[in-house]
Amino acid sequence: MSGFEVLNAGLFASIQDLGRQGYAHLGISHSGAMDEYAYRWSQKLLQHQKQNQNALELMAGLRLKATAPTQIAITGANLSFKINAQEVTIWQTHQIKAGDILSFDKRVSGQRAYLAVKEGFILKKQYRSYSTTLKENIGARVQKGDFLAFNPYSAHNRQRVKSLYIPNYEKPLILRLLLSYQEAYFEKKEKEKFFASKYEVTLQSDRMGYRLKGEAITPSRTDIISEGIAFGSIQIPKGGQPIVLLKERQTIGGYPKIGTVIPLDCFKLAQAPIGSQVAFEKIGIEEAQKLMKRYMQL
Amino acid sequence: MTIQISSVNTLIIYFEERICEEVLDQVQRAYRLLKDIEGIIDITPSYHSLLIEYDIGLYDYKSIQKQIRHHLAKQNPNHKDKKGKLIKIPTLYSEAVGIDLARVAKLNALTIQEVIEIHTQTIYRVYAIGFMLGFAYLAKVDKQIVTPRLATPRAKVPKGSIAIAEHQTAIYPKDSAGGWNIIGQTKFDDFTQFEVGDSVQFVSIG
Repeated sequence: MSGFEVLNAGLFASIQDLGRQGYAHLGISHSGAMDEYAYRWSQKLLQHQKQNQNALELMAGLRLKATAPTQIAITGANLSFKINAQEVTIWQTHQIKAGDILSFDKRVSGQRAYLAVKEGFILKKQYRSYSTTLKENIGARVQKGDFLAFNPYSAHNRQRVKSLYIPNYEKPLILRLLLSYQEAYFEKKEKEKFFASKYEVTLQSDRMGYRLKGEAITPSRTDIISEGIAFGSIQIPKGGQPIVLLKERQTIGGYPKIGTVIPLDCFKLAQAPIGSQVAFEKIGIEEAQKLMKRYMQL
Repeated sequence: MTIQISSVNTLIIYFEERICEEVLDQVQRAYRLLKDIEGIIDITPSYHSLLIEYDIGLYDYKSIQKQIRHHLAKQNPNHKDKKGKLIKIPTLYSEAVGIDLARVAKLNALTIQEVIEIHTQTIYRVYAIGFMLGFAYLAKVDKQIVTPRLATPRAKVPKGSIAIAEHQTAIYPKDSAGGWNIIGQTKFDDFTQFEVGDSVQFVSIG
């Protein structure tokens, strides 16, 4: 069999793609790559159609051994990526030979890197997607001893991302948000407090959502009937500490929402390490849609 | 009905803010009218709202609203299958599998047999699906057997457990943590069948 032997799974790794569409009515989480921007580039580098085959979303500590040749693309966080103990440049393709050891030794900047192989890892789609969703037992987290199969590929057509397009995950993060339809549930002074404060990313942050810590915000209403939750929604639960809901969010919920972080900034948030600080600023729908359309043309 | 912007590529449609069958019928009707429109990617219907994700390559936030209003205006109020499909759930009610059955009876000053009769008499509607794949929130439970959630959720509720929490009842589609009162067990296993608006009846077996 050709593929990668998992020598060490690192902090967390799972197979992802652009996520599941069209199943929210069944209660299935959208899931998909947390930093979709970096994921899309991994696909583009390998010239995958519609930029959607699949990739391994991984964190520091992962070590793999190749049993066959392939071409890979690495994007996202800088995790001190090495091939056979030799540090190599990320946001580009590399040729891999049988026996090569790939390692992501430590976090330098960002949190999650994407490792894509030419033509994708071989696995079955479920509900039309390769994305792992732990709480639904769709797929599973990658573990030591697992085998990630791919078709061998020997050619190498070297591609790299222009530096202009490579994000700097160290920059202070200001999350742009659309004030939501539930804005009315927050008094003016609560909103002012929210925009004037800095929030810290807490340990309780994962693929489902990022829990932040800072000035507590008090909604004037809490008795919300459960309703669908959009990507990037900021829920204010009891206690007033905001939660930004991300890719593996539940489909419905009943907490008041102060607004919705635009997808491009959710992708950056997914790269923010625990303890880092974020602030919020408003954006209008026209501008947000313009940015999103530009992103879709990537 | 109101339509609000919920995110860069989603809108939310609200009907009257009440949990009742009339509002649910409106949600269900809107879902059926909108679900196959090109450029609508995902719809999450729930109690009194529909969250709609659309393709911003095809619509902007104004044109999608126009499109939605246009389609909703077409609705035929005499839709034949108004209550959705009826799904019957063969249920074993016993103290062995329904570990809270005796407690539900006691809290409501009923016999176990009465709890079973009351639970099977109502035809429930699916008001929402969420929490996990195929977890359907069914309402409304007859007020005689309304029972609050457990103070401490259990770490593991077995798949197929039938449970009550407040005015709602549900079937656990797989093993999971949960704080609802377990009154029975089913072998029913086709949870992707449930759609918001469908009707569900429990049938006592054994």
